Amino acid sequence: MNNILGIKNSVIAGEDELVVELVKQALDTEIAVSTIVNEGLIEAMNVVGSKMATGEMYVPEVLMSAAAMQLGLEYLKPLLKEGDVTSRGKVVIGTVQGDLHDIGKNLVAMMLESSGYEVINLGVDQSIENFLQAAKDNQPDVIGLSALLTTTMPNIRENVRLLREAGINAKIIVGGAPVNADFATEIGADGYAADSAGAVALVKQLLS
Amino acid sequence: MLKGGMETSALKFLTEEDISKIHRVSMRVLAEVGVQITETEALDLCKEKGARVDYANNRVYFSEELVMKAVESAPSTVTIYDRLDDTRNIVLGGNKVYLGTGGTAINILDLDRIRRETTTEDIANTARLVDALDNVHFFVIPCYPNELDTKDVDVNRFYHSINNTTKPIMGGIFTVDGVDKVIKMAAEIAGGMDKLRERPFISFIASILSPLKLDNDRTKILFKVARAGLPIATSTAPLAGATSPVTLAGTLVQLNAEALTGVVLTQMVNPGTPILYSSVPTIMDMQTMSFLFGSVESGIMNAAVAQMAQFYKLPLYSTGGISDSKQPDQQAGFEKALTAILPALAGANFIHEAAGQLDSGMTISYAQYVIDNDISGCVLRAVRGIEVDEETLAYDVIAKVGPGGNYLAQRQTVKKMRTEFFYPKAVNRINYEGWEEAGAKDTWTLAEEVAKEILIKHVPQRLLEEIDQKIREIEPGIKVL
Repeated sequence: MNNILGIKNSVIAGEDELVVELVKQALDTEIAVSTIVNEGLIEAMNVVGSKMATGEMYVPEVLMSAAAMQLGLEYLKPLLKEGDVTSRGKVVIGTVQGDLHDIGKNLVAMMLESSGYEVINLGVDQSIENFLQAAKDNQPDVIGLSALLTTTMPNIRENVRLLREAGINAKIIVGGAPVNADFATEIGADGYAADSAGAVALVKQLLS
Repeated sequence: MLKGGMETSALKFLTEEDISKIHRVSMRVLAEVGVQITETEALDLCKEKGARVDYANNRVYFSEELVMKAVESAPSTVTIYDRLDDTRNIVLGGNKVYLGTGGTAINILDLDRIRRETTTEDIANTARLVDALDNVHFFVIPCYPNELDTKDVDVNRFYHSINNTTKPIMGGIFTVDGVDKVIKMAAEIAGGMDKLRERPFISFIASILSPLKLDNDRTKILFKVARAGLPIATSTAPLAGATSPVTLAGTLVQLNAEALTGVVLTQMVNPGTPILYSSVPTIMDMQTMSFLFGSVESGIMNAAVAQMAQFYKLPLYSTGGISDSKQPDQQAGFEKALTAILPALAGANFIHEAAGQLDSGMTISYAQYVIDNDISGCVLRAVRGIEVDEETLAYDVIAKVGPGGNYLAQRQTVKKMRTEFFYPKAVNRINYEGWEEAGAKDTWTLAEEVAKEILIKHVPQRLLEEIDQKIREIEPGIKVL
């Protein structure tokens, strides 16, 4: 079990190369793949989540841990059987047309990934056609729309309307500096969060 | 964590020529105007050491030669020690910046926001609070125990400070024999007078009055501490416009003469006495006749005084982080930040009054200590400035991230984020909704929460039981809390 503890600790420390090395060693000692995944990689992210909540870990450290976990998972991919890892849900996310801002939206994407969600990050300045196409191609559980400018906020409203009209069966969440909970309710979105941690909590709640 | 003792000379109000002019005029003041001293032992000593003494008028005149000889014999570095180990020593001198508390208030704005008189318990509590606040580097005993008999005040002020923090301590003395009691007690704790002199963890203040005079008791205390060879500050607080010239330059001239008088007297008593060049420049409000502590002019003069002390190669007792506001409000915030950062950026050594005081020094507040700990942290971050080297210039990470990427999940970000940025404790840095949800608290409220938690949880390194018992036997006037 020392190997598992090592994997867990190196994920928490964000030591991505060490994680892969220890995963290899664990496989050599014939530890089950599901044990490595669940008790090593995923358990580490649970610890990271609570350390972030208490303020002990900062966001960049969480992202490093998530990257380390992903690398470990990547290495194990060919060996994974059905049911070894379960995605907690699929999220399509993007910044609406006319808006080139992306640091907040990317942060939400990264935090969702760190929390075990599969994220399709469309990027910035995305037309409604692109959102619709991505929704059809990926069948996401959640669609996230982002805007930073007050001038592009109306595009969020329009996107929500068109996604609903097209019958897309996904929860729609909205965010960005000018957006607030009242606006989200008014335009018929399913949810709003003020920051990346809030976004993760929101998605978790919507999919529970 | 931002350590004390970082150096800077980022800010200079005075040119070399200005410094030299102030020096020259101060020398003339000391030689031709002189200083009023009434204590006969001091007058005799001044005469014996070569000063011109006019006994009829209690006036002593110091020549430049005499002054500069004292400046030479005074140490350029004075260390005040952590009581237990060397982790929190303050090494005063040069351009090293430290910030700490000041005194002596008689009121406290308590955690229930009611203002009342301070007691011995407040000395113990502030010491314990400061013990836990990283950016407060030393403890000047901040308040007066109003409930005690005068004869017990000195020993109680020092005892309850020493027993509640291991940070370096300084305090004013209220009775002449109080200083003997305090030194005896500290020697007992240190394991002997020699050990106390070797590693002084307490130090004293005996004020010189503006303009240019010493009272008998303060002179006696000064002499006692100098004979004991312990660190001392001769805090002088001229009020520009009232007890010193209205011009800032004129106040600096007089203050310089007063600070150097402290140096001369201590070196006459005991050459090598660890003396701090001591200054508390303030102004008087000409509209209201109020004594002002937190004026921007104080900040400017305190920065200039740092340059003067550096010119003489003497460690400095400086002042900053002060306010005339009555509660932890906006005025307190800006006055404290301004008056702390100005001397700090000039490399002032011992910036006292920089935590907990309000109301021109007459009132303390537990919450204010927490807020000032944050202000001092910001000030220290500015003192540290910008490190420029190959790693910090960050070409490699700029190239790795590339146009349109982000720096969040980069190793350098994780490695440096805690030290490149300072994180205050009692401020609002969340978004509007988050702030509202958390109760829409202001800094005062947040700081009260931090202060309460520290006062409930923090246990300092107390005195050893056996030493404690022995001290209490010698000094039965020490209050049991």
